[in-house]
Amino acid sequence: MSVATADGLTLAGRDRRFGLLLTAPGLLSLLIVITFPLFFTLYTSVHDYTLLTPNYDTFVGTENYQEALDEEYLPGSLWVTTKFVLASIVIEFIIGFAVALSLHATRRFGSIYYLILLAPLLINPVVVGLLWRMLLHSELGIVNYTIGLVGISPVSWLGDADVAFWTVVLTDIWHQVSFMAILLVAGLAALPREPYEAARMDGASTIRCFIHITLPLMRPVIAVAILLRLIFAIKTFDIIFIMTKGGPGTATDLISYYIYRAAFFGLDVGRASAMAAGLLVIILALTAYLYRYMNSLK
Amino acid sequence: MRAWMSRDTGKRGGCRERSFCARVDVDEGMTANSRGTMRKRGRLKFLSWLLPHGILVVFSAVIVLPLLWLLRVALTDKKTAYKIPPEWGQASFDNFVEIFTGYPFFSYFLNSATVALGATVIALPLAVGLAYAFARYNTGGLPLRLFVLSSQMLPPVILVLPLFTLFLKASLINTLPGLILAHMTLSLPFLAWLLVAFFDGEVATLEQAARTDGATRFQALVRITLPVAAPGILAAGLLAFLLSWNEFLYALILSGPHTNTLPVGLSSFQTHRGVDIALLSAATICAILPAMVLLPFLRRYLIKGLSLGALK
Repeated sequence: MSVATADGLTLAGRDRRFGLLLTAPGLLSLLIVITFPLFFTLYTSVHDYTLLTPNYDTFVGTENYQEALDEEYLPGSLWVTTKFVLASIVIEFIIGFAVALSLHATRRFGSIYYLILLAPLLINPVVVGLLWRMLLHSELGIVNYTIGLVGISPVSWLGDADVAFWTVVLTDIWHQVSFMAILLVAGLAALPREPYEAARMDGASTIRCFIHITLPLMRPVIAVAILLRLIFAIKTFDIIFIMTKGGPGTATDLISYYIYRAAFFGLDVGRASAMAAGLLVIILALTAYLYRYMNSLK
Repeated sequence: MRAWMSRDTGKRGGCRERSFCARVDVDEGMTANSRGTMRKRGRLKFLSWLLPHGILVVFSAVIVLPLLWLLRVALTDKKTAYKIPPEWGQASFDNFVEIFTGYPFFSYFLNSATVALGATVIALPLAVGLAYAFARYNTGGLPLRLFVLSSQMLPPVILVLPLFTLFLKASLINTLPGLILAHMTLSLPFLAWLLVAFFDGEVATLEQAARTDGATRFQALVRITLPVAAPGILAAGLLAFLLSWNEFLYALILSGPHTNTLPVGLSSFQTHRGVDIALLSAATICAILPAMVLLPFLRRYLIKGLSLGALK
């Protein structure tokens, strides 16, 4: 197949050269803005770099990692993050699937519902945090006033440790449930019709159709939606910063916020970098899994 | 017929009538029976209409009502905004005027727009090159794609630490170019990954035809593929713009008083003079306005953007 051309390259060789030419600027930029800083994180993580002594004079080896592992509050933050991620994904999946099935079943007003559904996804997370902080204010908030009308006593949405955790979870759900819903809607729209027609001929009920046809066929979409949300939920920072600053106590101290605090309030960038490196390993592992899964579908 | 009609008026009456029916219309048993299943099916049909709409109406209300409340607070005067139980004051745009005249929100807007536009405009051509090479020539193969995907998945808090120390050294801290560079860590991988989907499919066939007619690889890209994929590229660019318009953590750490972006301005507004919810609401409305205006145009592309091209 190799056809020699004027410059002595085969056609495939010219393809490769053209591809490399197009890739080079983008790839170089990625290496500069992402890979280089990442290596710098690793470099910082083995040095005694604090904002009081911002230099790389002292090599400390794995000391930062040791210190990070010995920290009293790190396990707590990891546990809060795990709870937060699991709670939001499970609830988002249930609500998201209900909304997706409903949207799939309606024709009328479908595009209006869809537009409303999309809206939160484009709203700034800082705005979401500010909005709900205002609505949930314990004395001046409209939510406590409204539940007061039906005789429920005011709730300290952000002041009580147990309640604050769920307030943050629910705020994040308000913001992100649409993500799950529209991915599932797209999945439902792409399902083949034949299995349902066959099942109807056999007299299967709607619920049986859902369990034995919809769920198995939707498995890839469900898996991708959940994996993406999992990775995104681990990154949650903005609403924590706005609504609770990790509090009350450490009730909402998600890992991103914890690392941010270690670096910019604890002033120990070296140790924060060690924790960031740990988080990096988790995220890369999840991404690699997602990637393998997405490729196995093709 | 009468029996059938009365059955719909009340449950008890319906029951009695049904037993009456069964006793009298002996030879019409079949008909009554099929009427029953029809009615059952009708009720089921009504239920399967009501349930989805019910769920969607409740869901939509939960999303829309808080936003409407935000708008209401932004339009009332400062004192009325705090009243509980709520009072409906005179609607005015005073708050919107005041945030721009009495506070540096104009500068926040300008900084946000500059940074988002800068990051998008620089990243877009770079990403087009990457995505096109992936789609057409599979340059770098699976490892390079994984590299781009992982870059996009990185939590900002991991990157903000080295960017902070590096920018400190390079005196890029508190500057708009520094912030643009930081935002490119978001937009470049996002765009590169997303655009691949726009270069696959039909346009590849078109391009093949052009190549057979003697167009060079470069001509095929510039004259065929880019014009055909232009709407998708534009939509992707707008999504990338919103991505950095909404970004908070990088801006929080890497910007200073003169380079604060809108989200940072909003987050610090609370502490200036206590909380002034009427002014804050007006400012937040302005902050989400660009996204809400673009929403109808972006809806077709949003699904691709959100699922990172995993779903079409």
